[in-house]
Amino acid sequence: MPTFTYMTRCDGCGECVDICPSDIMHIDPVYRRSYNIEPNFCWECYACVKACPQHAIDVRGYADFAPLGHSVRVLREEASGTISWKIRYRDGRVKEFTFPIRTTPWGSIKPPTEYAAPDANALNSQLLAHEPAALGVENLPTLPVLGKKEV
Amino acid sequence: MFTNPFTPLAPFVSPAVLQGYIVLMALAVAIGTVFDLLHEKKLTFFMQERKRAKAAAKLQLSATDMVAIATRTLVHDVATFGEFCNRHRRISHVLMFYGFVLYLITTIVMVCIYPADTHTPVVLPILWNIGVLITLVGGYWFFFFLRVNVVHDGQPPWRLVRADLFIVTLLASVTFALLLAVVEMAENSSATKVFASLYLFFTTLLFVSVPWSKFAHMFYKPVVAFQRRVEEADGSSDLPTPTTKGGERCPHSRT
Amino acid sequence: MSLRSSRNIKFVDSDILVIGGGFGGCGAAYESRYWGRNLKITLVEKANIERSGAVAHGLSAINCYMGMQWGENQPADFVRYARGDLMGLVREDLIFDIARHVDATVHKFEEWGLPIMKDPETGRYLREGKWQVMIHGESYKPIIAEAARKSASEVHNRIMVTHLLMDKVRPNRVAGAVGFNVRDGSFYVFRAKAVIVAAGGGSHIFKPRSVGEGAGRTWYAPWSSASAYGLVLRAGAKMIQMENRVVLARFKDGYGPVGAWSLLLKAITTNAYGDNYEAARFDEIKSLVGKYAETKPMPTCLRNHAMLQEIKAGKGPIYMQTQKVLDTKEKEEIGWEDLLDMTVGQAVVWASQNIDPKEKPSELTTSEPYVMGSHATCSGAWASGPEDCAPTDYQWGYNRMTTVEGLFGAGDTIGGSAHKFSSGSFTEGRIAGKSAVKYVMELAGNLPQVDEAQVKMLEETIFKPLENFEVGRNEIVAGSVAPGYISPLQGLQRLEKIMDEYAGGIGTFYVTSEPMLNRGIELLSMLKEDLDHIGAEDIHQLQRAWELNHRVWTSEAVLRHTLYRQETRWPGYYYRGDYPKLNDAEWHAFTASQYDAKTGEWHMSKLPVHHIIE
Repeated sequence: MPTFTYMTRCDGCGECVDICPSDIMHIDPVYRRSYNIEPNFCWECYACVKACPQHAIDVRGYADFAPLGHSVRVLREEASGTISWKIRYRDGRVKEFTFPIRTTPWGSIKPPTEYAAPDANALNSQLLAHEPAALGVENLPTLPVLGKKEV
Repeated sequence: MFTNPFTPLAPFVSPAVLQGYIVLMALAVAIGTVFDLLHEKKLTFFMQERKRAKAAAKLQLSATDMVAIATRTLVHDVATFGEFCNRHRRISHVLMFYGFVLYLITTIVMVCIYPADTHTPVVLPILWNIGVLITLVGGYWFFFFLRVNVVHDGQPPWRLVRADLFIVTLLASVTFALLLAVVEMAENSSATKVFASLYLFFTTLLFVSVPWSKFAHMFYKPVVAFQRRVEEADGSSDLPTPTTKGGERCPHSRT
Repeated sequence: MSLRSSRNIKFVDSDILVIGGGFGGCGAAYESRYWGRNLKITLVEKANIERSGAVAHGLSAINCYMGMQWGENQPADFVRYARGDLMGLVREDLIFDIARHVDATVHKFEEWGLPIMKDPETGRYLREGKWQVMIHGESYKPIIAEAARKSASEVHNRIMVTHLLMDKVRPNRVAGAVGFNVRDGSFYVFRAKAVIVAAGGGSHIFKPRSVGEGAGRTWYAPWSSASAYGLVLRAGAKMIQMENRVVLARFKDGYGPVGAWSLLLKAITTNAYGDNYEAARFDEIKSLVGKYAETKPMPTCLRNHAMLQEIKAGKGPIYMQTQKVLDTKEKEEIGWEDLLDMTVGQAVVWASQNIDPKEKPSELTTSEPYVMGSHATCSGAWASGPEDCAPTDYQWGYNRMTTVEGLFGAGDTIGGSAHKFSSGSFTEGRIAGKSAVKYVMELAGNLPQVDEAQVKMLEETIFKPLENFEVGRNEIVAGSVAPGYISPLQGLQRLEKIMDEYAGGIGTFYVTSEPMLNRGIELLSMLKEDLDHIGAEDIHQLQRAWELNHRVWTSEAVLRHTLYRQETRWPGYYYRGDYPKLNDAEWHAFTASQYDAKTGEWHMSKLPVHHIIE
């Protein structure tokens, strides 16, 4: 079900153009607002819908198989780490859901360079970063194949 | 520089004509906006949407509620352009808007109250020039560095599309206002005539192109912002309820 | 000459170039930074790594997690499972390698902030099935992208890589890549000591079931343009199992996921009359594939086969009886979250057709085929395996290096390592990342050199579609029909029709044969020639043109491999009408191809399947 932009809500900020994985949200030359230039390459991933600060982007199910009169709207709240959905059926019934999206603050991932630098032994072993501790087991498994080196 | 910029025009454009011109331009904007609303059934659509939203309302808002919402819209969305999440876009629009309003008001006062009078209180031309400069700073900044099709869609700044009609005519009009004021300092009457003509030409273009440019959107946006707040308040919005009060709208930068 | 001769050219020099910012690429960036603290690591992505790749929506489950810390599974068991699902033909060393590391990847994801559902009784990750755990994964990609941004020296978004560059001095060694900026059209030349290709597998190879707007709702992302294969096979990398395309049984039209519904919520699938048809078809399946029919769990392709037979017998539509399992609010939420976290389009289908899964069953269908290496099947490049457990002939250099020196792969790119999914692809990226660091450090002064002449020629080639359109457009008044060029979409539609009709798409119920494949190759070769006449109206269309290019080259590999394997190894994925049965005696092997750019020839061969786990 491809995306479309509400004329009255879009203020031409370009967030959707920046985020679209398919490169199909672009700026219309008459209003300088966004629109979907290629609905047949729209996966309905909702990346643009979630990214739009004005909630100006919505989805209308693919005309191939989705009758009219429905809506699936979303509110992604990064600060509170939640995503909320409001689904309105063609026959009018409504379902709402909220799910968590992250347990840590945005920007809080520790860069790999902040870990102690590995030594040459580790580089020549089969261990990847943070192993074996991050595996939760004592040793990295290997196969008891004849004649092969130990890990 | 700080004399009434319209006084030197008197020999070839009488004050009465200038005053009539202002009235005509105001009419052009009004008629242009009405034309825009009617000819492609924009107004029909807005009214349809209002009816749909009213029917979907979960609770009835009182007159006090409406006034509060209108005030909030005025203060947050209109006066400070709070709708914009991008700081630069917000500031440039604030500059363009207030600069232009200042320039417009001082223009009207000078043309209507001090037309051929050389004893214009100096504060008026000062404010006029400030208005012009602020508009141009905000406008050129926006035009070269902030237009979304340039910044996000990879287009070169000199590629003009129909959406540029408003900003280009605005910049042309106000630029020639500044140039006119500069040329007037040289006190050359033919140069003044030429620049005055150019100024009047682009100013006319600005106001007469309302049916085809984004000018009228300046009026629509506050109305829509108000409508959006009403829908959030009366439950007719089809967006999910925010988990935090008021929700968060502007995305934060990606680290 | 047009204004374009003053095109902006950008050179980017790196130690390690990672092509593709999906899960494989982000894993490669993270790990190569950990081991190569001072290396210049460049990540290049045609979209924006924040949401690029197959995990753009998010995901509702991690399908590759052992749970070694709780003694839930061992890597060797996972190898057996994947091997069973692929009817015996997998790279056991590569799968073992991923399975033994993947738990660490998942634990790091949790540490970074991915919410993993917990079993309220045991406190462990909530299992969807034996290998799968449930996650609240709407922001899965943004979280991983944050880690990648904190690892790479530079992230170049909106740059499409079109070709790899080969070393001027040493044959069969990679030296970098070229591409273009999809916003401003500048030409990019990437020079690197090592290249990791972690681009996407192939959607839109075969004609999809929906062809209007609905063409966008392919099961795999429409932006998976088979660049993983299009880039590496043209560089001469040996490819395997390109015939091993995957067909998915999913909710119809929306292609929503069925994993949580069937494994966790235990919804059953029946024909239109409510019959459980799989068991009834067992004997017929056994007659095709012999002992493989007894594999537990039943291999994915065989389950597809049973469904197809049922549909052909007129017993469809096939339904998942969702209404029988949603007896609590909690289950309803899990069912909906399964969709909303990763395929919102299915929720849209339900809302639009008034289907409430609590009240009505939902139709399932088998999808059009996809060519990929990260999911249930394992098409891709032939790669060197882990030093400690790969059989000798599976190991010629650094782990996850292809047969082209300095060219590594991860995710869809690598063949033979099936059932990776998101966590496994990220893990394979990590493996390739570490390997690439070792390779770069051991290169010493012996660095690859980019060939200037090749770069010049490629620059012209890359932007030619724009020229084709601009010039050719003068022949017609207006419209989309021009005698001198075709648009990328027109080319894509031709490709999809060829593959559908001759290579076993939905149009033939996935059946093909030697005469059909030969005809397909004939038609494809004309399409390949027509690639010189693609007309791109703007930079966006230029991106589409190169996506088509990668798809066409991949399709040729698919046709040739499908022709080469003279058996039906995976009924339910595709069938050889002329060799309808599984033939272990002759075909318990990988099919391999290698394209010679100098002669234009494809060399086909068999590679042995070693079972290192019993």
